[in-house]
Amino acid sequence: MTKTLLLKGIDEPDLHTLEVYERGGGYQALRKALGMSREEVLHELEVSAIRGRGGAGFAMGKKISFLPKGQMDKYLVCNADESEPGTFKDRELLQKNPHMLIEGMLIAAYAGGITRAFIYIRGEYALQADRLEAALEEAKAAGYVGERVLGSDLSLTMWVHRGAGAYICGEETALLDSLEGKRGNPRLKPPFPANQGLYQGPTLINNVETLATAPTIIRMGGAEYAKLGTTGSTGTKLVSISGHVQRPGNYEIELGIPSREIIYGLAGGPPEGRSVKLWFPGGSSAPVLTGDDLDIPYDFDSLAKAGTMLGSGAIIVVDDSTPVVDVALKVAKFYRHESCGKCTPCREGTNWTVKMLERIDSGEATPMDLDIMAAVCTNIIGNCLCVLGDAMAMPIGSMIVKFRPEFEAHIEAARARNELATTEEAPPEALIQGAVA
Amino acid sequence: MAIDPGRVPRFGHGSRVPGWDEAADLEKDPAPIPDPATTPVPEELRARIEEYMARYPDRRSAAIPALHAVQERYGWCSPEGIEQAACVMRLTPGYLTAVATFYDMLFTQPVGRHDVYVCTNISCSLRGADALFEAFHEHGGGDPEFNIRAFECLGACDIAPMVSIDGNYVGPLAPGEVPEVLDAVRRGEEPFPERQMANRKSTDPNAA
Amino acid sequence: MPRPEQRMVTFSIDGLEVTAPENAMLVDAAKYGDVEIPVFCYEPKLGAPVGACRMCLVEIEGIPKLQTGCSTPVKDGMVVHTQTDRVKQAQEAIVEFLLINHPLDCPVCDKGGECPLQDISFGWGGGRSRFIEPKRHFQKPLALSPLVAIDRERCILCYRCVRFSQEIAEDYQLVLEERGAHTYVSTFDGHPYVAPFSGNIVELCPVGALTSQPYRFRARPWDIEGSGSVCTLCPAQCNVTFTVRDERVLRVLGRDNVEVDDGWLCDKGRFAYQAVHVDERVTQPLIRDGGELREVSWERALSEAAAALRRANGRVGAIAGGETTNEEGFLLQRLMREGLGSGDLDSRPGGTLALDLHRALGAPDLQATVADLEFAHSVLVLDCEPVDDMPIVDLRIRKGVRRRHVKLAVATSRPSSLDPNASATARFAPGAGEAFVMALSAALGGGDVAGPAQAAGADAAEIRALGRSLQAGDDVVILYGEQLVSGPRGEHAARALLDLARRLELTSGREGAGLLCVPAGTNGRGLTEAGVLPNAGPGLADVEQSGRDTAAIAAAASAGELTALYLMHCDPLVDLPGRDAWAGALERATTVVAHAAFLTDGVREHANVVFPAESYAEKEGTLTHPDGRVQRLRPAIGHPGATRSEWSVIADLARRLDLDLGVLTGAMASAQLFAAVPFYAGLTLEAIGGKGVRWQEREAAATFPAAEPEAADGAEPPSAADANGRLRLGTFRSIWNATEVRVSPALRFLHPKLRLEISPADAQRLELFQGDHVVVGSDGHTVDATVTLRETMPEGSVFLETNALDGPLVEVRRA
Ligand SMILES: Cc1cc2nc3c(=O)[nH]c(=O)nc-3n(C[C@H](O)[C@H](O)[C@H](O)COP(=O)(O)O)c2cc1C
Ligand code: SF4
Ligand code: FES
Repeated sequence: MTKTLLLKGIDEPDLHTLEVYERGGGYQALRKALGMSREEVLHELEVSAIRGRGGAGFAMGKKISFLPKGQMDKYLVCNADESEPGTFKDRELLQKNPHMLIEGMLIAAYAGGITRAFIYIRGEYALQADRLEAALEEAKAAGYVGERVLGSDLSLTMWVHRGAGAYICGEETALLDSLEGKRGNPRLKPPFPANQGLYQGPTLINNVETLATAPTIIRMGGAEYAKLGTTGSTGTKLVSISGHVQRPGNYEIELGIPSREIIYGLAGGPPEGRSVKLWFPGGSSAPVLTGDDLDIPYDFDSLAKAGTMLGSGAIIVVDDSTPVVDVALKVAKFYRHESCGKCTPCREGTNWTVKMLERIDSGEATPMDLDIMAAVCTNIIGNCLCVLGDAMAMPIGSMIVKFRPEFEAHIEAARARNELATTEEAPPEALIQGAVA
Repeated sequence: MAIDPGRVPRFGHGSRVPGWDEAADLEKDPAPIPDPATTPVPEELRARIEEYMARYPDRRSAAIPALHAVQERYGWCSPEGIEQAACVMRLTPGYLTAVATFYDMLFTQPVGRHDVYVCTNISCSLRGADALFEAFHEHGGGDPEFNIRAFECLGACDIAPMVSIDGNYVGPLAPGEVPEVLDAVRRGEEPFPERQMANRKSTDPNAA
Repeated sequence: MPRPEQRMVTFSIDGLEVTAPENAMLVDAAKYGDVEIPVFCYEPKLGAPVGACRMCLVEIEGIPKLQTGCSTPVKDGMVVHTQTDRVKQAQEAIVEFLLINHPLDCPVCDKGGECPLQDISFGWGGGRSRFIEPKRHFQKPLALSPLVAIDRERCILCYRCVRFSQEIAEDYQLVLEERGAHTYVSTFDGHPYVAPFSGNIVELCPVGALTSQPYRFRARPWDIEGSGSVCTLCPAQCNVTFTVRDERVLRVLGRDNVEVDDGWLCDKGRFAYQAVHVDERVTQPLIRDGGELREVSWERALSEAAAALRRANGRVGAIAGGETTNEEGFLLQRLMREGLGSGDLDSRPGGTLALDLHRALGAPDLQATVADLEFAHSVLVLDCEPVDDMPIVDLRIRKGVRRRHVKLAVATSRPSSLDPNASATARFAPGAGEAFVMALSAALGGGDVAGPAQAAGADAAEIRALGRSLQAGDDVVILYGEQLVSGPRGEHAARALLDLARRLELTSGREGAGLLCVPAGTNGRGLTEAGVLPNAGPGLADVEQSGRDTAAIAAAASAGELTALYLMHCDPLVDLPGRDAWAGALERATTVVAHAAFLTDGVREHANVVFPAESYAEKEGTLTHPDGRVQRLRPAIGHPGATRSEWSVIADLARRLDLDLGVLTGAMASAQLFAAVPFYAGLTLEAIGGKGVRWQEREAAATFPAAEPEAADGAEPPSAADANGRLRLGTFRSIWNATEVRVSPALRFLHPKLRLEISPADAQRLELFQGDHVVVGSDGHTVDATVTLRETMPEGSVFLETNALDGPLVEVRRA
C-alpha cells in the first residue's frame, strides 16, 4: 500500500558513508540536476508540489521562487532542530542517511542560486551531528560540496552548526538569530527570511525531510512525485508515532491514508484493553483529536479542516488510562519552559496557564478557572510574536473544549480528596484514580 | 511581611536556576571586551574558537560552538572560560553569558562530568518517564560525577522512556535498571548497547 | 548621502482620514490624527522595532491577524482600527499579562506618577485582573551599578535597556539572562554596569525597574518642576531638563534635540548636577588675607580686584575657560581691551592661530553639523577621542555606521574606542598630527606619502588604506580635535588640514560634509567668535594690535612682564598644558583674580581674589555649539549663597575701572553680543528658544569674514621625537576626568586614578605588569602612575591620563 522513498534501505549497514550511499545510486540525482538548468530544477520542485515537512506546510518550490534573483550571497539553512515533542523523523535520516540530506541541499541550492549553506542541528543529537559532519567531510573531499561542484557552476560552502538546547530555535527566525550567535529569539515578520534572513541576506529555510526528498523528486520527476498522496498533500511523509501505541517508531506513509491505518495498522494501536482517548496529529502543538476522529485522512488539508494540523507529522497517542489534566500540564509546562520570553502573551500566558493547571490538579480550583484558562488561551492566540504561544494555547484550548466534563470532574475529585485528607480519612479508591472520561 | 526568596518555589522543573536575587558586586570593575594583553587564553582553545569563527561571515555566529568548547574544557561555562572566549571573539563576556544562559545544554554553574538528560516530555512520560527520572535522581542525584536533568523531548519517543548519557541515547529503561546504568557509566562503559539509538533498526516494515 | 525624502500618504484610522509620512510606523502616523496607540517596547531612538511587548496591536483591514502598530509602516489607503472590540480585547489582555507578575507597588515606587505602565494600565487596561496565584517576590532593589538600582519584580522585559546597551552605546554589558518567564536583566558574573552612557537606561525604562540611585525617593512628580537648559560640561552641549525641587537640582533628563544630542546624555551630564549643591562649592567672594582665602563681601572683593588690576597698569593677561558663556567672554574682552588696555587674552588652551586660519577653519561653507556625522558617506575621526572629548558624538558616529553604513576612518595617536567600528584605522605618534595629515593628503592627491608618514611615526600603508575610504566628491566629515591645530606647529597643522579639506572637495560649501572641530572647552567656538582671542575681536574681526596667547601669557607672567592674571573658569594647573610654566606664572604674578566654583590647586594656592562662579543650572546667556548652533542657557534655580550673575560681576568690576559696559540685565548682554558679532546679527533669545539656531543657516552668515590663507608650504614637517629607548608620551583626559565628577558624591568613584597605558611589548621590555606602580619622568619631573596594559597600544608610545607631564619623551620605571 505504501510507497517507500525516504526509508528505502535505511537499515543498510553503513549507509551513512559515502561509499554505501553512492553504491545505492547516491548523488545521481545531483548529477541529473546539474545537467539541467536552475530553472528546470526549480520547475520540477514546484511541480512536485511538496509541502514543507517541518510544521508550517508551505510549498517548498514556491519558497525557493521567492528568493530574489541575481548575484548576491544567498543562504540555505537546513532546519534540523527537531524539537517538537513527539517528533523524531529527521533523526532517522540524519543518523542513517546523511548524504541524502546533503544531496538534497545541493539540489535546492542549485535551484535557488545559493552559495552558502548551514545545517542547524539540535545540540542533543550528538551521534547524528557526528555522522553528518563525517558525511559532509566525505562529500567535500569527493567534490560534491565546494567550488564548482562536479564542474558545474554550482559553488556551495556547507557547515554543520550545533545548537545547545532550545525548542524555540526550530522556529525559523529564532533559528536564524541563534545561528548568528545570538539568543534564539524570533524576529518580527515581515521581513521574511526569503528577503532578509541570515546576515540580512536572502535565505531559504527548509526542514531536513523536505530537503532530503529533493533527490527523490529529481529522480522521479516532479509530476510523477505529485501523483503520490493527495492533490493538496503530495508525496510520502515520515510519521513519528509515539505514546500509547504498541510499535512506536517512524513510518513512511503516503499522505491521505486514514489516520486509523497509521495508529492501529502500523503502530498497533494502544495496549490491549485500552482505547484511544486523544491524540495529537502533528506534534504537541496541534489541537488534539479524540478516538472519534480516527478516520480523518492523514494529510494537510483534511487535518486543517478538522481544526488541527499535520504539523511535523508526529502522532502522540494517549489512551484512556491517563487523565487529560496530566497531559495538559505536561504540554503547558513544556511551552512555559521553552518560551523565549520576548513577547508578553507567550511569556506570561504560558506561565499563568501552568499555574492554573497546577491548581486544577491539586484541587485548589473551581470550574470558573476553566473559563479563565480558556480566555487566557484565546488571549494568547494570534497576539504573539511567533506561534510558540499559540502552540500551547491551541492544544490546551482544544482539551478544555473537548474534555471539559473531565476537567470539572478532576477539579471536584481533587477538591474532595483534599477535604478528606484534612479529616484524615482514607479517600475512596474511585477518587484517587482521577476521572476517567 | 518580607518573603524569604529562598523559599519561593520557582523552578518546579528543576533544570534552571535564575539569578534574580543577585546584585552587582560594586567592588568589581565593569566587564567590557577583555583586553588580550591581560587575558591569557589556552592556545588550543583559542585555535578552536578561531577555526569556528572562520566558518561564518560574522564571527559572532561562533558563539555557541565557542561556548561548547569552553564547556568541554572547563566542564562548565565558567566566568574565566567565558572571558577567554569573549577575548578571542572580541565580544563582551556579557554577550556570551546572555547566549549561554538561554540554552539548556550550556551551564553557567559547575555541573557533574556526565550529562544525564532524562526525557520527561509527553511521549516519554506517558510511558513512565517521571518514575525513571525519580530513579535517576535517587540513585545518582548525590553523585557529583553526574549532571542529572529532566529534559524536554529529546527526539527519541520511539524508545521511551529514555535517557541521554553524554549524548548517547538509551531506552526504553525501567526505573529498576537505573543503578545498573549509572554503574556502567561510572565504570566508563556504555550501558545496554542493544538499546542504544546507534544500534536501533527502523520500525517501518517497508524500510528494509 | 542625501537624507531620505518624505512622501506623504493618506490613510484612515478609526474612520479619520489622516495624512502622514509614508512608511512611518503606524503608532507614529496615528499621532498625525491625534490617535494614540499605546506602546512599551517601541522607542524609535533604539533602532528598528522589536515587536516584543505586543501592546500596540491594531486591526488593519485586509489582514486577518492583529498587527503591531510599532512595526507596520503606513501605506497609502490603509484602513486601520484601534477601537474595535478585537483590539480592545487584545490591549486589555496584554495589560493583564504584563501585570500578573508586576508587584503593583506603586505607593513605594520612584516611577509613580510618571510611569508609562501606570498610564497605559489606566488608559487601555481592563481595570481588573483574574490572576489569583501568588506573585513572585525577590529582593529589591538591587544595585546594578553605583548609579543605577534594579528592581526585577517590576521589569516588564520590554528590551529597551538592553537594546540601549547593545545597539546604541554598543558597550554590550547589559544583557538578558535565562529564558522565558525566568528572563532577567543582568550583567556578566555580577560586574556592575558602568559605562559612559549607562544612565540613559533609567530614562528609557517604562516602569520603575531601573531607577537612579542619586534620585531615588528624592521627590514625587508633583513636587518638582522641569527647567530646560543646556549642559555645559563638555562641547557636546546636550540639551537637558533640570528637575528642580525647592531650588535644588535633583535630576537631569535629556531634552531630545536630534541636531545636538539625539536624545541621549552621558553619565557625567546626567549625574554631575550634584556638583551644584556640594559643600566644596565656592559661594562667597574670597580674598587672600595673610596667605589664606577668606570670605568677604562683594563690595570688598570687587574693590580689591579693581584696585589690583588698576595697579597692574595694563600688564594683565586673561584666560577664559570653556564654560564661559558668549556674553561673559564678550564682556571680558571688553573689560580687557577697553577697561584695562590689554589685548593679552585667550580662550584656547593651545594658543591662537593666525586670524585667517581661524576664519578659514570656521567658515560657514566648510562647517559640518552633528547630524552630518550620521548621514555622511564617510567620517574621519582625527586626533580626538569622541567618547572622552565630546561623548554624545560617539553615539552619533556609531549610529551612522550601524544604521546608515557610514564608512568610518579613525586616525589617532591613542587607540580609539571607535576602532572596532572603523573600516580603516591609522596611528601616529602623539603630537605628530601635522605630518600625518600631510601624508594623508598625499595619499589622496598623489605625492610623497612615505616621507611625512615616517615623520608622523605612522605606517604609510595604513595611511593609504585610510585614504581609500575617503572619496573626494563624497560627503566626508572630518571630526578633528582642537589639539591637532594647537601648540607650536598648530598653524602648519591647520594649513595641512585645510589642504586635506580642499583635496576632499569640502571647501565648496557642500551640504552634509565639512569639518567639525572638537574644541578643548565647552564653548570653545563661542568664545572664539565672541572675541576672546589675542588676535581677533568679536566676530573674528581684525584688531589693531595682537596680544599674547595662552602660552605667551604664561611665559610673560613667569618673566614678570605681566603682573596680573584674570582667570575666568580656568585653573591653569588643571586645565592647561604646560603645567610647569603656569606654576611659575602663578607664583610670580602679583595679582590673580579668578572666577571659580571650586578651589582647585591653582586657585587655592595662588588666587588673590575669588569670585564665586555660577553653576550651569543658575546661568543665563548663550553658548555656541561646535557646529555653530547658538544655544541658550536658562537659569533653573536661584543663586546659592552670595553667588551672582557673572556678567554682572564683570560689569561691576568694569564700572570700578571707569568703564560702563552698558548692561543691566543678562538679555542686554546678549543683545550687545549679537550686535557686535556681524554673523550673529539679528539673533534674539526668543529666536534661539529651546532648540537653538545655527548661525550659518541665517542670512547674516554672509557677513562672516572671508579668508584665503596661504596654502601649506609643503616643507617636510619635523619628525616625531625619536624614542631611542625612551617612550613617546601622549596625554588624554577621560570623560571622568573633571572637577564636577570628583566632587559629585555619586560619580566620585569614577574619577580616574593616574593611569599609564602601555603596549604589552614595551611592558615586557621594561618588565612591567598590569597594575604595577611606576614613576613616569620627563625633564626631571616625575609623576606616579599605575600600569594599564593595552593590546592595541602602539609600541613606543605611552599615554598618561593627565596634563601633569609635558612630553615628548618620558622614562618609565617601577616605583
Ligand atoms: C515554535 C516552533 C518550533 C518549530 N520547530 C521546528 C523544528 O524543530 N524543525 C523544523 O523543521 N521546523 C520547525 N518549525 C517550523 C519552522 O518555523 C519552519 O516553518 C520550517 O523549518 C520550514 O521548513 P519546511 O518548509 O521545510 O517545513 C517550528 C516552528 C515553530 C513556530
Ligand atoms: S528593566 Fe525596564 S527597560 Fe529593562 S527590560 Fe525591564 S522594563 Fe524594560
Ligand atoms: S510597542 Fe509594538 S510590540 Fe511593543
